[in-house]
Amino acid sequence: MKDNSESIFNMVLASTMHDMKNSLSMLGESLNLILSQVDPELLDEKTKDYHGVVQYESARVNNSLMQLLALYKFENEQLPFNPSYHNLSDFLEEQKLRHIPLLDAKSIDCEIDVDEEIEGIFDECLLSTVLENVIGNAIRYTKSAIKISCSQQQNTVIEIADDGPGYPEQMIVLAGDYMHGINQSTGSTGLGLFFAKKIASLHKHKEQIGCIRLSNGGELGGGRFELIIP
Amino acid sequence: MVNYSEKQALIIEDFAEFARAVGTMLRSMGINYADTVTSGEAAIQACREKKYDIILSDYNLGESKDGQQVLEELSAFNLIKSDCTFIMITAEKTAAMVMAALEFQPDAYLTKPFNSQLLKSRLDKSITKKRILSPIQRAIKKKHYEKATQLCDSLSEEHPKFKTDCQKLKLNCLRESKQFNQAFELIEEILNRRATPWALAGLGKIYFESGELEKAKNTFLQMTREFPMALDGFDMLAKVLHMLDQPIEAQKTLQKAIEKSPKLVKRQKFLGQLAEENDDIEAMTKAYRQAVKYGKNSAFLEADEYVKLTKSLGKTILNNSKEDRAKLIVEAELLFEQLEKNFKDETSIQFRGEVAHADFSDIIKDKNNKERHLVNAQKIYERIEEHLGPDESIEIAETLKSLGLNELSESVIEEAVEQYFDNPDLVRRATAITNNKHLILNAKKANRLNTEAVQLFKQNNFAGSINYFERAAEIAPNNVNICLNHAQALLKQYQSGERDPEHLYRSEAILNEITRLPVTDPRYTRFSELNRLNQLILQKLE
Repeated sequence: MKDNSESIFNMVLASTMHDMKNSLSMLGESLNLILSQVDPELLDEKTKDYHGVVQYESARVNNSLMQLLALYKFENEQLPFNPSYHNLSDFLEEQKLRHIPLLDAKSIDCEIDVDEEIEGIFDECLLSTVLENVIGNAIRYTKSAIKISCSQQQNTVIEIADDGPGYPEQMIVLAGDYMHGINQSTGSTGLGLFFAKKIASLHKHKEQIGCIRLSNGGELGGGRFELIIP
Repeated sequence: MVNYSEKQALIIEDFAEFARAVGTMLRSMGINYADTVTSGEAAIQACREKKYDIILSDYNLGESKDGQQVLEELSAFNLIKSDCTFIMITAEKTAAMVMAALEFQPDAYLTKPFNSQLLKSRLDKSITKKRILSPIQRAIKKKHYEKATQLCDSLSEEHPKFKTDCQKLKLNCLRESKQFNQAFELIEEILNRRATPWALAGLGKIYFESGELEKAKNTFLQMTREFPMALDGFDMLAKVLHMLDQPIEAQKTLQKAIEKSPKLVKRQKFLGQLAEENDDIEAMTKAYRQAVKYGKNSAFLEADEYVKLTKSLGKTILNNSKEDRAKLIVEAELLFEQLEKNFKDETSIQFRGEVAHADFSDIIKDKNNKERHLVNAQKIYERIEEHLGPDESIEIAETLKSLGLNELSESVIEEAVEQYFDNPDLVRRATAITNNKHLILNAKKANRLNTEAVQLFKQNNFAGSINYFERAAEIAPNNVNICLNHAQALLKQYQSGERDPEHLYRSEAILNEITRLPVTDPRYTRFSELNRLNQLILQKLE
């Protein structure tokens, strides 16, 4: 019986997700359509800002939905985990492309620094959900620039740096510790880092386990997020 | 850079507004031709009429086929060009979805929501990759494995980005062309760096093909342990366990894969077969119910699922299970109805259906219907044109015997034994059914003669092998294998020097006798190739 009600809940959850995500897509696309019919010269700064806000917020809701669903599935041992070889320059380029409208709207410079040939072994879909959140936050807090880079020696290290005010000290210490990450005053639910940590730790090779690292004063002087995949 | 202006695109999406949004994105990329359809069925139709370069399909298409089924049918029926780029659009990437894509995988997945920049990037990359790897694919299609292997090496060097893709293709080529030593070397090189599911799968398959079942089992065990989401590992492990005579273990293994992805009809059917062997009627019923359910929208729907499901429903009733008897009867009758409707032109299926229906009527003690279906079966039997398969023959003969129709049962068995005497499993099962001892002795004799003949053929002693094939054919004149072997030996004999046209006429006559081989039979390709060769040589003669 439990089995049955659980599978019904799974179906309801999946179809509701599908529906919500469709709605979000439609919201975004409709707004783009409306704006594309207006001469860009006629748009005042305020309107552009509102457009950015709608895009950013709907992307955030979508991303949170993805994270919640993934965590729910993880608890039920149903999370598809499909690590395979991926080219990192392609992968990171696509992560940037997800945010292009917003980067353009906010005139943020986003540089990618990665060797063409680097390949990593990871779950593309899950890592992309992690990075979407991290890059989204970087866009939110940075002043003018973001740098996405990747290096590979023993591990694959993906780094996202910005020139904003950096992470609060407490967050760096507690990185990914969910209960302590919640902070109503800043609107931080702790979900993003909790999720990032969880997904990183699914990636294992021999004795090594993936992890995340937060620090300040990176290459651009602001916050620096590192995702380490063995 | 990819030039999109001449590309033909198809959008498959049941949600009209989203389809419109995707259409706008495609136009912004410079695509001038984009059609939209709203169901899987309409997509298949559209691809019959036009050859597309780019297909964007939503995975979830409401009540119709899903995106994966569309891709499978388009590929299986050759309705898309080999360089067509197929992108699957999904709300979320679920395990069941990705796992169901075993044989036919889309070029890329794209999760909603996405913007036109992302769509363009995916398309650019998929199209470029296809273009670069296409020489390898062409060589593979022509079965020029040596050339394909060389191309894998050179392209991998030229485009280090596609090294992994090249390695995968190379491993397949080496396996197909049975270059096992080179394959082992390649696998070792990969596994030394890091285990990947495809390298383990390749290794297991090579062990399997060279008959090292224990090693194959251990490799697939390792694969399922390290990569529990690579479900083909479970499929292959189940197959090996089954061959190692561990059907219960095989069933358990397959059930693990089914829990993660229930959609693959082939997997459900194999599970049903294993459950039947293990006498686990509940699991059998469940598996065939799912097979029928997921096969419903598929073009690969087969009669077998229906018959097997009615059979397991009958067994459920006999077992006095807790399931509602009346409901089970309704379910079975509906299946018989669909079977009759969906396969009305195939007499062998109708025959099998009538026999199964009679059996079911017998179980529910409906005497009138039992008699009626048996009379129907007898009538249809006279009209059957194609050979019944080995498993079907045994199933039908067993049922007919249990229903008291010994004569009909014997003639079904007789035909099957003549046709499949080289299948030891069939002969063993047939022996248990038939009362005709002579039949089995003859089958063994024909098998012996055929084996001798094949030996001689392999030693290039064609004249000797023809002699033996002739004697085998005297015992089993309708056996397709003997006929094909016989014809091939005659052609070889002609080609190898003597050039006696009599040989050609005889092989032509033998091949002309093969009239009941269905196109779906695995031997059909060989039959048509021999036929073509024979005609070709005859034409040169004139």
